[in-house]
Amino acid sequence: MVNMLLNPEKETGIIGWGSYIPRYRLPLDEIARIWGFAKETPGGLRTFEKAVAGRDEDATTMGWEAAFNALKRAGINPREIGAVWFGTESKPYAVKPSATIIAEALGITPDTMATDLEFACRAASEAMRIAIGAVASKLVKYALVIGSDTAQAEPGDILEFTASSAATAFIIGPSSEAAAVFEASYTYVTDTPDFWRRAYIPYPLHGEGFTGEPAYFHHIVNAVKGLLEKTGLSVNDFDYAIFHQPNGTFPLKVARKLGVPKEKVLPGLVTPYIGNSYNASALIGLSKVLDNAKPGDRILLAPFGSGAGSDAYSIVVTDKIIDRKDKAPKVEDYLARKKTIDYGMYAKYRGLIKRIRR
Amino acid sequence: MKYSIARYWREKHSYYRLKATKCLKCNKINYPPSKVCRYCGSRELEDIELFGPAKVLTWTTIYTTPNGYEEYKPLIIAMVELLGTGVRILTRLTDIDPEEVREGMLIEPVLRRTSEDGEAGIIRYALLFRPLIKGAPEIGSNK
Repeated sequence: MVNMLLNPEKETGIIGWGSYIPRYRLPLDEIARIWGFAKETPGGLRTFEKAVAGRDEDATTMGWEAAFNALKRAGINPREIGAVWFGTESKPYAVKPSATIIAEALGITPDTMATDLEFACRAASEAMRIAIGAVASKLVKYALVIGSDTAQAEPGDILEFTASSAATAFIIGPSSEAAAVFEASYTYVTDTPDFWRRAYIPYPLHGEGFTGEPAYFHHIVNAVKGLLEKTGLSVNDFDYAIFHQPNGTFPLKVARKLGVPKEKVLPGLVTPYIGNSYNASALIGLSKVLDNAKPGDRILLAPFGSGAGSDAYSIVVTDKIIDRKDKAPKVEDYLARKKTIDYGMYAKYRGLIKRIRR
Repeated sequence: MKYSIARYWREKHSYYRLKATKCLKCNKINYPPSKVCRYCGSRELEDIELFGPAKVLTWTTIYTTPNGYEEYKPLIIAMVELLGTGVRILTRLTDIDPEEVREGMLIEPVLRRTSEDGEAGIIRYALLFRPLIKGAPEIGSNK
């Protein structure tokens, strides 16, 4: 008989967390002006501006800074990290891991696992569940989970309003050292063609209205229901709820479906100010909530990725959070640091202008 | 391929972590790292990392750049002093416009992509410096 851990989550928790948002912001009104959308279109998405990575940034560099901030909060020796898992859908190299570049630059190499994962917006969340297993089984002491994207969108596509750039990172380790412990987690996936990008194609395509009901809402609702059934908790037991945030309206709508009041969602809702940062989307919401949480708070987290799947987590904050909050810049510090740019500068920074590179 | 892959690989810790060597005889820091102390000639040196905040001593803005840097211009090249070490290095500033740079400005290292070898070659990453952001660690906390 296999000796299985019945609840591996409880052995694990978040030791350190950190995020990164690039300096540049593109107002959504500017995209509407350039591509001839109605002025009301951005308002319908409840998103005002989106974060744009500078010309010298990519998913690797942003992931580096988020991970650096997570390390500062964790206060551990980087050499004790046994796994670096990097979730992205905007790898700078098609073949060559970002995880090894970040691991090398942070002094984690060479005694570590390292790989990049892809599952639209939820690869980093899958990495978090894998990290729980790896830490609970004592395969590794600490695992570094990074979600980072410079999300692509075809110029003029509705997706361009929200596809943005940001990164977030978590160091998962033993619950005895954690600022927040995992109580339970649950995953719900199906084959759903709501959003995809074929090889060598620069921008993703999506199923328009199909991205909502059968994809986003169906998977998040079922992941959360699965978690609640598994734990016996109800939505009323949570102080915060963070859902994947492709725009500013979907997280509030899924909250209504689940009976979660808006007030528990708004503290972790970052998309209205930076857009949808894909693998960092829901997880940067968790980062922001941890920046302000107090011991005993219980957090419901449900990232989503197209293709499609959702994970639901119950996370409880410990008293160790108090000393770690101020050891690195907070999400709000990055939100406050911004420079507005126009569409031309955005097009240059994101490589939308075809040049001959010598 | 214009870049030497072997050289980038060999020097990666200088690019990623500001690796230097410290002379065990005269205590001086050699940056870039050297196996022979350029101050006293000793061959007894240890590896150290200079990663940490710095201040701007002087700078210049370059508008005409070599191939591979066109999309990054203008380049702000600065002589900076790494706090607590006295070591001065030449670096690039980022996340700042030329007119915003000030002498004595506090800056911190961040990993950025510094150039690409055409469409298909390697991407080079290195630490550049940007203005300290609110919430950054206290000055002098060099690792």
